[in-house]
Amino acid sequence: MIPVLQARDLTVGYKIPGGLLARPLILPIIHRVNLTLHAGQTLGIVGESGCGKSTLGRALLHLIPPISGQVLWQGHDPASLSPNDLRLRRADMQIIFQDPIAALDPRMTIARILSRPLATFEPDLTRPAQQARVANVLHRVGLSPDFAARYPHELSGGQAQRVGIARAIIGRPKVIICDEPVSALDVSIQAQVVNLLMDLQAEMGLALVFISHNLAVVRHISHEVMVMCLGRVVEHAPRDAFYSRPLHPYAQALKRAVPEPDVAVERLRRGQTLTGELPSIARPPAGCVFSSRCPQAVDLCHQTRPDLAPYPGTRQAACHFVDIEP
Amino acid sequence: MNADLLSLRDVSVHFSHAGGRTTVVDRVSLDLAEGEVLGIVGESGSGKSQLLFALMGLLAANGHATGQAMLAGQDLLSLSPRALDRVRGASLSMIFQDPMTSLNPYKRIGDQLAEGLVHHQNLTRSTALVEATRMLDRVRIPDAARAARRYPHEFSGGMRQRVMIAMALLVKPRLLLADEPTTALDVTIQAQVLDLMSEIARDTGTAILFVTHDLGVVARLCDRVAVLYGGRIMEDGPAEAMLSTPAHPYARGLLATTPRMEAPITPRLATIAGTPRSGGAMLPSCPFAPRCPDRLPACDTMPALRAHGPMRRLACHLQDVP
Repeated sequence: MIPVLQARDLTVGYKIPGGLLARPLILPIIHRVNLTLHAGQTLGIVGESGCGKSTLGRALLHLIPPISGQVLWQGHDPASLSPNDLRLRRADMQIIFQDPIAALDPRMTIARILSRPLATFEPDLTRPAQQARVANVLHRVGLSPDFAARYPHELSGGQAQRVGIARAIIGRPKVIICDEPVSALDVSIQAQVVNLLMDLQAEMGLALVFISHNLAVVRHISHEVMVMCLGRVVEHAPRDAFYSRPLHPYAQALKRAVPEPDVAVERLRRGQTLTGELPSIARPPAGCVFSSRCPQAVDLCHQTRPDLAPYPGTRQAACHFVDIEP
Repeated sequence: MNADLLSLRDVSVHFSHAGGRTTVVDRVSLDLAEGEVLGIVGESGSGKSQLLFALMGLLAANGHATGQAMLAGQDLLSLSPRALDRVRGASLSMIFQDPMTSLNPYKRIGDQLAEGLVHHQNLTRSTALVEATRMLDRVRIPDAARAARRYPHEFSGGMRQRVMIAMALLVKPRLLLADEPTTALDVTIQAQVLDLMSEIARDTGTAILFVTHDLGVVARLCDRVAVLYGGRIMEDGPAEAMLSTPAHPYARGLLATTPRMEAPITPRLATIAGTPRSGGAMLPSCPFAPRCPDRLPACDTMPALRAHGPMRRLACHLQDVP
C-alpha cells in the first residue's frame, strides 16, 4: 500500500533578506526529517515552541518548498506536479489551526466558509449538491443545520473548531495536519474535539498529523509519536513503547513537565525542572540540540551531534547514551 | 482558617449594558491565609478572571463589584481610587496571562520595574533600579544587570513572565493575584515558573490567588482550590482532597477530561457534554444543570454552598441524596 504521506530527508528553511553588505541567505529550520504515514494512522509531533513543528506541518502541505529532500503525497512529489494537478491534489491535504476563530473569515457565513473548498476542488458541483454537502459535514462534526447561517463571531471556540474541521473534511481529504487544534480550547471541550477527530478518522480512513506541545494531549490520538527539538527529530516511536519509557532525555523531560492532576505525583516533581534557556533555532548548539539543557550531557554531547539511530521495536532516538532496558 | 489575610464575603461582579445587567460572579465567599496558594479553577465564562479584576480595581467601566473583600483589614471594594492605588503599591499586585502585552515595548525592563517603586515608594530612580535588578536576579533571570537594560522583545516568553513576576513582587505584596500566568508557556517553562511561585509563597509569606483551568497546575502549586462555574463556587477545599475525591459533578467531569500521562488509554476520552456558559442572565437553577449528567428535579433551584467533610464546601443537591 502506498503511504498517503511521506517525507524523505526533508530540510526546510526560511529566507533571511540580505542587507547592504549581507547576502540573502536561507536559514534551515528543520533538518532531514523522515516520516511515513498510512491511511487511518495518526502521527503525533511534539516539541516546545520554536522547535519547528508547525514549519514541518506547513512543509508537509507544500506551503513551504523544501531546501532539500522531498515530500510525497501518495507517492507523488508536489514539487513536480503541474499547477493544476497540484491544486486538485490539495483537496487530499487539509489543515486545521490553533486559533479556531481567527481561522475563519469573519465576513462569511459558515455555509459560505464551508462551500469555498468545494468551489475550488469540485467546481462542477451544482448549488443544491453543494448545500447538501455543507449540511452533511455540519452534521458529521456535531453542529445543528442552523449553524450554516451564522457568522464566526457567534460561535464559541469549540464550535469554531468544529467548523474548522468541517471545512477540512468537506473535500474528502486523505490527510489532515492538525496544528495545536485543541490548545486554545477549554479542557472540557478539548476532549470533545479529540474524540471527534478520532471518530472521523475511523469513518473516513483519515491520516492525521497531530502537532502539540503537550504530550498528554497527543497520547490518546496518536499511533506514533515524534519528538522534535530545535528543528531535529530526537525520538520517533510507536505510541505505547514511547509512553512507557521515552528513550531521549529531552522526551523524558517533556513527559515529566506535563502536570498530572495528582498532588502526590506533583509534590515529588517540584524542583525537578529543566534548567537553562532554550537556545535559538538560528544558533543551535554545535553538539546535541538538547546538550545545553540536558542533565546527563558530557563533553561528547557538546561536541558531536548524535544521529537518529534505530533501536529495537521500530524506535529511533538521537542520543549518545540511549540505554535500552533488557 | 485563622489569621486570614484576605476574606471575600458575597463578592459579586455585574456588568450593565443596553440590554440590562449581567452578573458574572455571584456571591463568592473565600478566605486566604498568609503564604497560602489558592487555585481558582474554571473555564471560559466562569467569572474567574473578573473576580481578580474586581479585587484589583480593574473592571471595565460598565463593571461593578458588590460585597466585601477585606485585605489585611481594608475593604478593597469600597476604597477610593486613590486609596486602592496605595494598596496596590504596598500589599497587592497582579500577574497577567500574556506577558508581552503587559509590558511596554518601548521601555527597558529595568525602567519599567523601577517605575512602580518610584511611584509607590518615592525611591530615587537609581535606588529603584538597584532594587529592580536584585529582583530580576531573585526570579533567576541570568545576568540581571544586563537584562535590566534590555527591551521586552529581547526576552523569550518564559523570561518575560519572570519579568512580570519580578515586577509584581517588587512592592513586596502580601497578596499576589495571578491570572493564568503559565497558560501561554511551554510545559517545560511552565514547570519552572510554577516552582518559582511556590518558592515565593513559602519564603516570603506572600499569599497567591492563582486562576487556572488546568487541574495539573493546581496539583503542582496550590494548597487549596475553589471550582467556579457560571460565576458561582461549586466546590472548594484542600487541593489534595479535591483532586482525589471531587464531589461536584462538574469537578468530577473536569478531572476526568484532564489529559493524563499515567492513566490507561481508553478508546474515547471522557468529555463533559455541551459548552461552558458564557454571558446571559444568572439562572435560578444550578448553572451546571444544563450539562450535568446527574441532574435531579431539585437542580432547578441553586443549591447553597455547604460544608462537605473537613475544610470542604459543596454546592450540589446530590449532597442530600442518600
